[in-house]
Amino acid sequence: MSHEPLVKNETLSHGTIECSDLVVTRRFLTEFLGMKIHRPVPEAQYIYKGGPWSVVCVCVEGGEAKEQIPDNRFKISVGSKEEVRHAHDEALRLREQYGIRQVNDLVESDVTVSFQLQDLNRTWWEITTADERYYEQLFERGDI
Amino acid sequence: MSAQTAYTSENPCISAKSLICGTLVTTDLARIRHMLEKGFGLECVRAGRDLLLARDRQHRSGENKAGEPFWVLEIRQKDKVPVAQEMLNHWGMAAPNQAAVDEAYKNVNERKQEFGIVRVQKPRFRHGSYACYFVDVDSNWWELEYRAPEITYEALRAKGDLHKD
Repeated sequence: MSHEPLVKNETLSHGTIECSDLVVTRRFLTEFLGMKIHRPVPEAQYIYKGGPWSVVCVCVEGGEAKEQIPDNRFKISVGSKEEVRHAHDEALRLREQYGIRQVNDLVESDVTVSFQLQDLNRTWWEITTADERYYEQLFERGDI
Repeated sequence: MSAQTAYTSENPCISAKSLICGTLVTTDLARIRHMLEKGFGLECVRAGRDLLLARDRQHRSGENKAGEPFWVLEIRQKDKVPVAQEMLNHWGMAAPNQAAVDEAYKNVNERKQEFGIVRVQKPRFRHGSYACYFVDVDSNWWELEYRAPEITYEALRAKGDLHKD
């Protein structure tokens, strides 16, 4: 039976984060996280990598971005477990340079390796081996 | 010299393949699943006792978007929401036209209790897009947004508009 949703939503398009300095934040996002960025409006820059989806990074005028927790984070997929471990080492080595507030321990399971960090704007990021294929399998498996 | 189309780094510390997922919190997985599936038309799957995944529909094998990149929302159930979210932490969805935004505003307003939505903001133009916001009972903000073809996220990327610092 077909179902017409309440909202005619074509696609998930973006998430949103706050920052207190677009230029300093951009250095972290491009040089450390390896993101691509463009800035179509003065007050925000759009972050993207590997798909049509964007994270809109809005500058909080005259204020600081509010504290977030790891439950509200963005995940970045990398190619191998070794790359996650290397990223973890780099996060610890460069935390002062990029204003990284926290670097959590590596978490290794049979399937994935990951760690979480909190950036200069209190946003949490997870670097993980979980990729589209990983999630595709979860969707294919169905409800547990 | 070709024009720069994006701020990027040639040798970043992390060799990112893709932004793959955003995560959020709910106090009731069944309630938010109802909103995401029946309200917003997303595909959901229960991936763990306290974990729900959502993505756009049509990505399964044999469907229209099979093989195309997709974004995942990972929703974790907690006893309470530790940090209330605000407008600048919203999740965005694209509408096909302006009328779809108006229609969604009307539909959601009429059935907001059923979907656990506590606030519906009137559609309005903002930065060239036409959008309305819904706030669910867990303080998650959802935007339904229509953007004219020349200012969609992908069109803006292609234009490489790099506003001066």
